[in-house]
Amino acid sequence: MGALRYILRRLAFSLVLILGVSFILFALINAIGNPIEILLAETPGISDEAIAAVSKYYGLNGSFTDRYFSWLWAILHFDFGTSIIYNQPVRELLGLWGLETLKIQIPAILLSTLIATAAGVVAATRQQGRADFGVVSAAMMGHSLPGFLLGILLTLTFSYWLGVLPSYGAYSTRNMFMGNIVADGLWHMVLPVAMLTIVNTATLTLLMRSSLVDVLRQDFIFAARASGLPARRVVLGHALRNAFIPVLTYLGTLFGLMLGTAPVTETVFTWPGLGALYVTAIQQLDYPVIMGETMVITVMLVTATLATDIAYVAIDPRIRLA
Amino acid sequence: MDADIAPGVIGSEVSGRPRPSGVWRQAWHRFRRNRAGVLGLILVSLVVLIAVVGPFLSPYDPNDQSAMLHGAARAAPSAAHWFGTDRVGYDVLSRTIYGAPTALAVGVGAMLIAAIVGVIVGGIAGYVGGLLDEALMRGTEFFMVVPVFVVILAVVRLFGVMVVGTPLERIPNLNLITITLLLGLFGWPPIARMTRSEFLRLRHAEFVEAAVCIGTARRDILVRHILPNALPPLIVLVALGIGGAILSEAMVSFLGFGDPKSISWGQALYFNYEALKVAPWACIAPGFAIFLTVLGFNLLADGLTDAVNPRVRG
Repeated sequence: MGALRYILRRLAFSLVLILGVSFILFALINAIGNPIEILLAETPGISDEAIAAVSKYYGLNGSFTDRYFSWLWAILHFDFGTSIIYNQPVRELLGLWGLETLKIQIPAILLSTLIATAAGVVAATRQQGRADFGVVSAAMMGHSLPGFLLGILLTLTFSYWLGVLPSYGAYSTRNMFMGNIVADGLWHMVLPVAMLTIVNTATLTLLMRSSLVDVLRQDFIFAARASGLPARRVVLGHALRNAFIPVLTYLGTLFGLMLGTAPVTETVFTWPGLGALYVTAIQQLDYPVIMGETMVITVMLVTATLATDIAYVAIDPRIRLA
Repeated sequence: MDADIAPGVIGSEVSGRPRPSGVWRQAWHRFRRNRAGVLGLILVSLVVLIAVVGPFLSPYDPNDQSAMLHGAARAAPSAAHWFGTDRVGYDVLSRTIYGAPTALAVGVGAMLIAAIVGVIVGGIAGYVGGLLDEALMRGTEFFMVVPVFVVILAVVRLFGVMVVGTPLERIPNLNLITITLLLGLFGWPPIARMTRSEFLRLRHAEFVEAAVCIGTARRDILVRHILPNALPPLIVLVALGIGGAILSEAMVSFLGFGDPKSISWGQALYFNYEALKVAPWACIAPGFAIFLTVLGFNLLADGLTDAVNPRVRG
């Protein structure tokens, strides 16, 4: 009963949050005035009637509240309008470019979870030892390493110096790698995925280690050890499962943040994903794309947080429902 | 464990011995033994030093483009230009030195705002409690779930369009100020949460109840009794936050939404990234400057965690 009430409350709060973001966003975009006027101001000899006609085409006439509610109604039906720059429905753009973002982010999250778990176990079972010191130092450095610097170093090394990997794009425009579109796509994915994996792994490793260190100190671990279970099974079977709980929270955040960090990653590697789409949309004031994508990012982030909260309660019975 | 306690504390148990050393001296004693923390302190001090004496250190004027005139733009590092020159003829070393004060101003400015807002919100929530606490914490959560980085990008750009033609336009480094303000306004939730939990804990501490009993004014209780005791964990958050704000400014600038009139590391990356292949040094120097500064603040925060809270070492 408590759990259901808790979930319903979180759900209600999430909805309020999304509505709040949508309103602030809409108000902000409107505060700059009519974007069509700004975009067309440079066009020589354009008449006021033409501006009014274009504004009407993009649904920019009518009062503020009218426009807000019709926009809200439209996005509830997944109708984000038409991009001014690409002249294509925003929904299509988000789908196409979103796929490219997922293509590099999902493998990176999976890889980094694997590596971080292994590194965390190594470090936590050899506390204060040399391996622990190495893992923690490397993770600490990686945690502070800005993604773009890492991207620059990877590009310099593997693209310009060794010349083995492409430095930009998701596909070759000519001369496919091994003459095969799948191989070519994978070949282009290597550097972005490597960069994201390294950035994620560092933080995850620190988290995994400290969580595991905490768990290994608890009584049930001593009990398991005392009952003669082999060390391997104590760590991998008993401790790891419990240590995963805080890591799960971070994975949830990471999944939500995926789109938050995408602009930098995708700018470094000129990757045609949502991050790059967002950056150009902001630069060129392509407001249907800005609004649509901000809403998608917000909903993803809120959903990820909500899912983590619920999973947390489901996994760990010790958590008190507040 | 006993090594964590400074000698003065043990001495204090026996009357007539020297006075116990203060909280801060004990903290410093513990801090010194954390190698990572000391390295962080050294890095941060170095950045501060460079920011202060930068103008005397810098071999060239940061706006000196004369290398361009004798065809020495994009020149590799040499005796004349230790870090080389960039694509418009700036001396990379000078620009990197002059980026230090910008980075610190953004980091410290943003965290100052975040700390003020966070302590006020968290303090009220923790001390008053009840419905107000609930409302403030929901508000805090709102700011934590909002996709901060993309919102900052959009707001910086939109604000830049809005000010065109208004008197605000003439404020120097307006874009940088906007970024700092935004980072501060989105950076306070962790501080508010920590302040709240500390205030909740301390509200019923014995020494606070004692102060209430002898009729101390509420303002004095909050400012002189509770706040100083809540400070240690907040300092850690602020140190972390400064590094985070510096990194965020660099990312915003790298994406091209920075302040074209100010000299910042992220800005240097943005201008030189397209020439990465021919003049990599122009990107590597500011890139490493950001890395070392952020690393310094993160390590410092790590050392401070140990120093102010001996229980959480693991």
